[in-house]
Amino acid sequence: MMLILFLVMISAYLLGAFAALLSGRGAVGRGLVSAGAAVGSAAGLALGVLVIASGFPLTFTSARLLPLTGVALRLDGLGAFFLVVVGLVGCAAAIYAFGYSAQYAGRYSLRLLGVMFNLLLLALSLQVMADNALTFLVLWEAMSLTAYWLVLTEHDQRGTVRAGVWYLAMTHAGFAALIAMFLLLSGAELTTSFASMRAGAALLSPGSRNVVFLLALFGFGAKSGIIPLHVWLPMAHPVAPSHVSALLSGVVIKMGIYGLVRVLLDLMGGGPAWWGGVVLGVGAVSALLGVLYALMEHDLKRLLAYHSVENIGIILIGIGAGLIFHSYGLMTLAALGFISGLYHTINHASFKGLLFLGAGSVLHATGTRNMEEMGGLIKRMPWTALFFLVGSVAISALPPLNGFVSEWLVFQSLLGGSNIPTPEVAVVMPIAVGILALTSGLAAACFVKAFGITFLAIPRSREAEHAHESPPSMLAGMALLAIACVALGLAPFVVVPALGRVLAGLGGLPDTHAVFSLNLSLVAPNNFASMSPTLVALGLLFLLGLVPLVMLIFRVNRRWRVSDSWGCGRAGQTSRMEYTATAFAEPLRRVFAELYRPTKELSIDFHPDSKYFVQSIEYRSEITPWFEKVLYGPLLWFIRFVASLVRRLQSGSVHIYLFYIFVVLLILLLIARWS
Amino acid sequence: MNEHDAVFAQLATLGASLVLLFGIALLWRRSLRAYTKAFQWQSLVLSGMFVLVGYFGHDPQLYLMAVFFFVLKVLVIPWYLARLQRQVGGERESQPYVNIATSLITSGVLVLLAYIITRPVVRVSALPTRGGLPLAVGLIFVGLFVTITRRKALTQVVGFLVLENGIAMLAVLGTYGIPLIIELGVFLDVLMGFLVMQVFVYHIHGTFESIDVDQLDQLKH
Repeated sequence: MMLILFLVMISAYLLGAFAALLSGRGAVGRGLVSAGAAVGSAAGLALGVLVIASGFPLTFTSARLLPLTGVALRLDGLGAFFLVVVGLVGCAAAIYAFGYSAQYAGRYSLRLLGVMFNLLLLALSLQVMADNALTFLVLWEAMSLTAYWLVLTEHDQRGTVRAGVWYLAMTHAGFAALIAMFLLLSGAELTTSFASMRAGAALLSPGSRNVVFLLALFGFGAKSGIIPLHVWLPMAHPVAPSHVSALLSGVVIKMGIYGLVRVLLDLMGGGPAWWGGVVLGVGAVSALLGVLYALMEHDLKRLLAYHSVENIGIILIGIGAGLIFHSYGLMTLAALGFISGLYHTINHASFKGLLFLGAGSVLHATGTRNMEEMGGLIKRMPWTALFFLVGSVAISALPPLNGFVSEWLVFQSLLGGSNIPTPEVAVVMPIAVGILALTSGLAAACFVKAFGITFLAIPRSREAEHAHESPPSMLAGMALLAIACVALGLAPFVVVPALGRVLAGLGGLPDTHAVFSLNLSLVAPNNFASMSPTLVALGLLFLLGLVPLVMLIFRVNRRWRVSDSWGCGRAGQTSRMEYTATAFAEPLRRVFAELYRPTKELSIDFHPDSKYFVQSIEYRSEITPWFEKVLYGPLLWFIRFVASLVRRLQSGSVHIYLFYIFVVLLILLLIARWS
Repeated sequence: MNEHDAVFAQLATLGASLVLLFGIALLWRRSLRAYTKAFQWQSLVLSGMFVLVGYFGHDPQLYLMAVFFFVLKVLVIPWYLARLQRQVGGERESQPYVNIATSLITSGVLVLLAYIITRPVVRVSALPTRGGLPLAVGLIFVGLFVTITRRKALTQVVGFLVLENGIAMLAVLGTYGIPLIIELGVFLDVLMGFLVMQVFVYHIHGTFESIDVDQLDQLKH
């Protein structure tokens, strides 16, 4: 059964890619491409669920399939969990792509888009099954390169190529670190299986273990966009086609999380407390700065991309807390930390995927990503607005949706910090709680802005006025993820024990699925706190019914009046009277002025006759991009300097190049002779 | 060492020397025709070496290899080279980067280097053919030297082919012939590489009205 699902998954992706190669255009071509990706993802999803449910890892003897290549695949619980994440977002994005990619016909290469989309999904699905370093690295590179092509789809738009170059450079810097890490871990033999690597990692000296940790944090961090390695993320994710953005933000950056858990917890079996502290610190900084930069964005997709940085931070807070507890042997709390991280991973995948698909629908309808030109879309595209609202509520961590549950779990694991015996470490935890609380609040504010400015009030431009609802396939894709958001929020009593089972045995974690029992409410260890989102949801539904009922009984509001909301008695409202996204974020811009360092420019044109009549006001405000300026500026300068030195070797003469080869060959042979 | 092996060793060294001699002969000729001829003769002697090693080493497969080698490098490639030369004009290699006298001295030094480099291998080897190994490595060096110092695309192609011959000779002397399937792969590689280079020569000629490779640095911006 599992093998059949595996084969169905592989062949569906390959057929999808092949169909795109034959004909990407036309409804049939697009349909086949989407069907391939959707069937493949659905099979992957089913396979992941089956493996988690059965608890038996699945090993593929690839020796017969691909001899001599050293490919090894094995699907264990952790891999299966991430396969579920890939399958869920992949399936929704594939269905959505059918409608969304129609607008590309004739403008961009649908063939390339279809092939790379399917191949990216294939690489992602196999990535979580890699069982040796070689397979892992090859698939990692395949994933990076296919994602690069997808980012470049709209290659003639401003900024796309630059974003692609940044993405490629950062991801390859990370890749280099990963190669070094695996060489250290495997004793320079990349085809060593993960099982023997696990045994070998315990024998490494503490120094090289620390190097492995730092390399892993850099390599996987560059992929998942932790601060300060995040600069490529807000550039590359918005310029990709929206269903690809959903996949990039929902799944691809999660591979960094997968890699961190796989290497740090599984292969290395945990480490000293400072590892966890560093991960936690990086997570806290990413979460806070991510949301702060998101607040200042008016580009809907860039805003979402910055929120990916934030949510990766939240995930890393959970994982960092888990690593700290693990180093003190507090295994149940450690499991709680990792569970909260992984839970937030799948939650973020579903709501961020949903939000990107929603943003794609808005982009599809209005042709702009600038929020200041939207508004009033809720009347023109009600379904999209509903789905976007579900995503916004989920990402703002409001009950009863999924973001609430996982952030609650992260808080619980941080609050368990009082069990840590060393007070100087334990004090880290309340600080992290504070940062996380601030982050959640700011995130809610940010989505009030994102949803309010985009969907409510009066249209701010002609495009927004003439917006139209998306085709059914796009709505279906969003609906799938919206259902996932609700289900994951209402059923933590299924998800948490499943995650406990997934983590059981990794790095000596106990099987905790009995600890987090199948009760309706979640109970933190030692009965520290308990919460049942299901009951909360029922309560909310009850209130939702109760309020109108009371109003009906007491006969309030018997006379209906239809007028502009917040009209304040004005006769005619125009969009110029509306709150703008910039205005909404202005208070926070002032509060955090130290960070943003906003530059303001105000130019007023007075009427030549009287200063009391203003002809026009131009206001321009920009925030300082710190990381680009302080960190990457000198780095880029240095790279250019080195490149200009190397350039002197490049004379352009074929003979000189041949001469280089000849001389190096001779020198190497002579060295070999006398060594 | 018995009589049989002694004869074999003598013949192998003689053949290898001849092959190297034709390689060096390239360096003191200027006309492109002479380059082709020298390469043709060299390949002929080399296919004789295949037969020789096949006979003394009791490996009938090598006869087949010799036939392949003969067809490819004595008939097909020289024919293509001649045609190429007719089409792009019979220019002479008038001004190599290194003049002829220096080239000859340098190639002598290179062969000497080859002897130094291969000494550890030759010392531990018990093969009757070991005397030819330094000569084969020397031929590889000479081939590379030709590609570096000659200006014309065509002469560079011949230099590459000589380098290829050096590798083939090293293989046949050092291991009595590598497995047929790999050897066939190498042949195909040479043929493909050659055809690609041929296309390049046409394009260089079409673009610059000459096959002086040093004009390619105009492509640098």
